[in-house]
Amino acid sequence: MPNQSIITFKDVVKEYDDQPILNHVDFEIEKGKFYTLLGPSGCGKTTILRLIAGFTDATSGEIYLDGKKVNDIPANKRKVNTVFQDYALFPHMNVFDNVAFGLSIKKMAQQKIVEKVKEVLKMVQLSGYENREISEMSGGQRQRVAIARALANEPEVLLLDEPLSALDLKLRTEMQYELRALQRRLGITFIFVTHDQEEALAMSDEIFVINKGHIVQSGTPVDIYDEPINRFVADFIGESNIVKGNMMDDYRVKFVGKEFECVDAGMRENEAVEIVLRPEDLEITAVEKGKLKVKVDTQLFRGVHYEIVCSDTDQNEWVIHSTKKAKIGAEVGLYFNPEDIHVMRFNETEEEFDARLEAYEEE
Amino acid sequence: MKKTGLKWSNLYLILVFAILYIPIFYLIYYSFNEGGTMNSFTGFTWDHYKEVFSDTRLLVIVLDTLLVALLSSLIATFIGTMGALGIYYTKKRPMRNALLSVNNVLMVSPDVIIGASFLVFFTFLGIGLGFGSVLMSHVAFSIPIVVLMVLPKLKEMNDSMISAAHDLGANNWQVLSRVILPTILPGILAGYFMAFTYSLDDFAVTFFVTGNGFSTLSVEIYSRARQGVSLSINALSALMFVFALTLVIGYYFIMQHNINKKKKQRKLAEIEAVKMR
Repeated sequence: MPNQSIITFKDVVKEYDDQPILNHVDFEIEKGKFYTLLGPSGCGKTTILRLIAGFTDATSGEIYLDGKKVNDIPANKRKVNTVFQDYALFPHMNVFDNVAFGLSIKKMAQQKIVEKVKEVLKMVQLSGYENREISEMSGGQRQRVAIARALANEPEVLLLDEPLSALDLKLRTEMQYELRALQRRLGITFIFVTHDQEEALAMSDEIFVINKGHIVQSGTPVDIYDEPINRFVADFIGESNIVKGNMMDDYRVKFVGKEFECVDAGMRENEAVEIVLRPEDLEITAVEKGKLKVKVDTQLFRGVHYEIVCSDTDQNEWVIHSTKKAKIGAEVGLYFNPEDIHVMRFNETEEEFDARLEAYEEE
Repeated sequence: MKKTGLKWSNLYLILVFAILYIPIFYLIYYSFNEGGTMNSFTGFTWDHYKEVFSDTRLLVIVLDTLLVALLSSLIATFIGTMGALGIYYTKKRPMRNALLSVNNVLMVSPDVIIGASFLVFFTFLGIGLGFGSVLMSHVAFSIPIVVLMVLPKLKEMNDSMISAAHDLGANNWQVLSRVILPTILPGILAGYFMAFTYSLDDFAVTFFVTGNGFSTLSVEIYSRARQGVSLSINALSALMFVFALTLVIGYYFIMQHNINKKKKQRKLAEIEAVKMR
């Protein structure tokens, strides 16, 4: 096992009442990075967090924390701390006592506790709020108290279970920046659970996309956005136009009845594949200049851009994001570059995908 | 139209309260009667109260009653709270419901039956009737009350708070003493006061299991009332009524204090929210 990985899951299975929640999950988490577990609700992402924290036991498989197997170590003996979705603050204590809870359990000297609480409250910009009751704090402030309380214990890993979901949009964006900055400053590992893809893309070093108890794809936000492994990832992260196609040869792909140049390779000849084209990569031009000919069906103003829905003669729907208005009912051409086409094979696993990418990139 | 409707409802309310309270005030009124009977009021006197305070047997009984109530409610609160925790943490739903039902059956079964069965039980075991038997039976019928008062508070409690405490390094005992018990404290206190009042005014169960000269106030008043009317009983009842009234008023002020505190907190939070904007 490499030294750098702080958490390792080996073939972990978790079942509730014989219903599998996690199916043979393997992964390693490196020290000092910001990880995000991203997936729809019920996909098992929170279960992974609870397994790391020690709130539930794995049905089978091994979990290592800092090189030590922790399957039988209870939550209160693990050097990880959690920020809960509903904050889980103690309502009968004030801010100081909440933050000091973990330290007083450790029987730290009172003077040291006071200093430490002051330090972490400053980190989350709540200096001077020590004597407030929890009921006197707003939602955003409670969130900060919860983070301070978890950080006071100086964990090696901080687990965050959808901590921003209860905040309004503006506060949420603010907290995204703050959490990211906090992680950089402290240099500890953050594992962040969310179903919000924008949040995941904005904050993470690494994203694990999870579906139905499997890790479908892991990688940097850019990798996952640009090279989704399958339809689920392409659909879940960002908006996508997905059409069926065939791989004619290396770097040649055929879809909607036409052949196009692309940058993917390493597949069987004439293999059935799926094509992803991101809405922002499509450009509306004159019919004769476009690679595809479509008709504009509807148009929605989204603030930053117009969302234009078009259809081609094969009844495929094409969503385009453009800053320029289109005319409904007009025939237009769609232009895109070869590198905008992303080809996905059916049922390809992540290992196969990575191996194929490496193979043809070396050529 | 609306006004007259309101008046009728007020009148009805006054009538109901009058019917409820007139017997008590009638009793208290005659406790100051110079004559020995409740037939006619002949003059004002404190004599009956003096009689109560010079009756050492009666005073001992009052103290015993209070002692039984204090002790039994204390023990019942302890056991009941543990019981509520046990029921709350019973994972299997059928088992939990069964436990809760067994608890509730004790609540609704008539005092006479509980008293009679305790009498049979104590004589069968050869336990002498007296202070011990009364205390034990009071503890027994108070436990379900405490369980019923504590359980809703446990259900209200946020479970992730428990996880958070474990997460921060607390062991099971520390979670119980520093997080769970403070959170459900209002329920425990309510349970204690309920058990206290139930014990204080219990007649039927005590009547069955008391003996060896040990008696509580309600049993004593019952037996004295049977022997013939003495106005010292009126005086005693008046004193108990005042005592109960003081408890209720005290409870009211404590509640009022808490509500005010909460209101103040909410106001502060609102001010804070306005400032944030």
